[in-house]
Amino acid sequence: MKIKSKSSHLLALTSAALSMPAFSAAQPVETEVSVRTSLYKEENVPADNIIFGDDVRYDIDIHQFSLLTPVGEKWSLGFNAARESMSGASPWGTVADADGAATLIMSGATISESRKEFSLSTQRYFNKSSLGIEVSRSKENDYEADAIVLSTEWDSDNKLSTLTLGMSYSKDKITPTDAILFGRVLEKEKTSQSYSLGWTQILDKTSVLQSGIRVTKHSGYLTDPYKLRDARPDERLEWSVNFRYRKFIESTNAALHTNYRYYEDSYKVRSHTVETAWYQNIAGNFQLAPNLRYYSQRKASFYLPIDDYTLPLTTNQSSDYRLSTFGAFTVGLKAIYNQPTWAVSFSVENYKSRGKYSLTNAETEHPALLSFSLASIGFDFRF
Amino acid sequence: MIWLRLVGTSKGYFVKTNSPILVIGMLLLAGCQNIQPWERGILAKPEMQLEVSKLGGQLRQQVYFANEASTGGSGVAGAGCGCN
Amino acid sequence: MGCPCELRIYAGQKHQAQLAAKACMDEAARFEQKYSRYLDSSAATEINRSAGIKPVEIDAETYAILKYAGVCYEQSNGLFDISSGVLRHVWHAQRSELPSEDEILRHLNLVGWEKVELSDQNIFLPISGMELDFGGIVKEYAADAIAALARTMSIRHGLVNLGGDISIIGPQMNNRPWPIGIVHPTIADTAISVIHLANGALATSGGYERYVEIAGKRYSHLINPQTGWPVESLLSVSVVAEQAVVAGSVSSIALLQGEQLGLNWLSTIGLKYLAIDADLHCNGAVGRDSFSSGSPSAHE
Repeated sequence: MKIKSKSSHLLALTSAALSMPAFSAAQPVETEVSVRTSLYKEENVPADNIIFGDDVRYDIDIHQFSLLTPVGEKWSLGFNAARESMSGASPWGTVADADGAATLIMSGATISESRKEFSLSTQRYFNKSSLGIEVSRSKENDYEADAIVLSTEWDSDNKLSTLTLGMSYSKDKITPTDAILFGRVLEKEKTSQSYSLGWTQILDKTSVLQSGIRVTKHSGYLTDPYKLRDARPDERLEWSVNFRYRKFIESTNAALHTNYRYYEDSYKVRSHTVETAWYQNIAGNFQLAPNLRYYSQRKASFYLPIDDYTLPLTTNQSSDYRLSTFGAFTVGLKAIYNQPTWAVSFSVENYKSRGKYSLTNAETEHPALLSFSLASIGFDFRF
Repeated sequence: MIWLRLVGTSKGYFVKTNSPILVIGMLLLAGCQNIQPWERGILAKPEMQLEVSKLGGQLRQQVYFANEASTGGSGVAGAGCGCN
Repeated sequence: MGCPCELRIYAGQKHQAQLAAKACMDEAARFEQKYSRYLDSSAATEINRSAGIKPVEIDAETYAILKYAGVCYEQSNGLFDISSGVLRHVWHAQRSELPSEDEILRHLNLVGWEKVELSDQNIFLPISGMELDFGGIVKEYAADAIAALARTMSIRHGLVNLGGDISIIGPQMNNRPWPIGIVHPTIADTAISVIHLANGALATSGGYERYVEIAGKRYSHLINPQTGWPVESLLSVSVVAEQAVVAGSVSSIALLQGEQLGLNWLSTIGLKYLAIDADLHCNGAVGRDSFSSGSPSAHE
């Protein structure tokens, strides 16, 4: 018999075997329930940076719930709910101080506001593919959003590659609080459509790579009505490319995670995001995962560090710190304890953003760039 | 003629038979504390998933959306919030 | 299945194990009902009965199995051919003299996967008398399917053993691998080798159990579908792979090629194996520890 390359016979047989029904289960086989509670706390603004308003920033409690269950042999059903309660002050705008540097005008601290979100999803599984639909609604006292997401996944014959396609449409409505008092718009809407394409490839027994591209278009009222001086284009086009790599290192019994994302939009914002984590298995059923994130963004074309009241409102302008040039580091640690039918995880992370952390030269640093801490505890159950 | 043979081992009992019927061997384990959850294949391990914690991922995505200008990761998002 | 079968399921709760065991037994019975050559009502019998008459409708599972059989045929250069079952009528156990060339040729006319007309909806055996033998693939595939079923019912420890073809559900409760003995081809109740597996599958093919003796010479039940004559080959081949169905095909194809080519095939396939030749020499990387009683044997 002609000797082919070492494993080509094995590859042919294994690929053919894997396309048989016994090896195709992608449907969840157990019911999974997860709950999670998190505390998010932003650091106070340094006193020097404020000229008016409260220095306390956001404090948010977040509670999340998720349920995913198989229904029959070909369907699954999912339900997600989340509730947040927040209090704190946020930046309204900037003015120049005696030296010409930007200082903040902060809002008064709100006592408490809350947001609720629900989503319902279902997926239909075929031999080598699946189709899913999800509807969700988010509601808070000044903001309502409804969204629908359609997604599909296709496995290759040898089960080493998966193609994912996603489409979403959402409609948001904002009714700013104290609109008349502060001369804000009464009610505005915006719509968003998003399309994504992803490719997941199993590279070998211990590694997998996912790459994806996403394109989004927002239309409607995109300005921030709570800012003292803010006017944005009524259309925003965004696109991003991202990679996720997972590698298991047998010699140390640990998994390496690396993610990279490149983002660009029609505001001329450009960013790079790199995330990495090391999931180390420890004796018993413990896992410890330190993680690191680095983010760098370049400002929007119409960003100005100090609000300019001489510019007409028909000209795009914003002093929102989120559109400035800055970089940020997140350092975190996660601890997980696994049992066959349940797991508990605890994680903490700290985020610091600074103008000088950016890869692009930041001429000035926005006084509202923040630091925050996030701590979460979560439980997962399988039955 | 169908025969059944009971075989005892340190792990429990199982029954061998010559009939094309399968027989259960099962063990009631007192306390599963030291059992590792085991999935077939390295790629199926929980720490090898693209998203280890779905809720954690969603939370982080929202936190960064509220503080940075970029959106996206993989897939498309659901309903937004007024936080940006 | 025509052989002794064994299912081991370990779970923390009796109720869970019982439910899973029942589902597994039902699944095994389902395969038996569907593919047994001996049952009048099976899909396999219906296909063979309609040879030379009309195409028979097949479902997705049967189509996938037949497509896999086609890949085995290609990868073995035609030696693994599930349409070669008719040749057992020539080399049956009661035979006392060698068949004539004519008898062999007559049966060879009924053999040949390339003659089979297969589509994703149906299958047609064009010549009356043609037969498909699913046994060479279904037994191993059933072991994989039953193990997969147990896993969907949250069973994480156990194994499925169908007459020596083993598909592992998960390691033992203490997370240690299963010790599996490969039966000695000539000495009863002894293992020639023990292999430890925590996942994957093991399949063994052997020419030593069924044979016909004519004029003092043994002729194995493995027939070369191209010559019509039994293969003179290795005594037993055991292969370890991720899937029992792949392990089974690889070991069968090794045997069908005869000793030299079979050993060549095994040494380059990229899987662990144990090949025992007619002089009881062992080839391959599978370990040689001594047998410990109480472990499942790979062949009864």
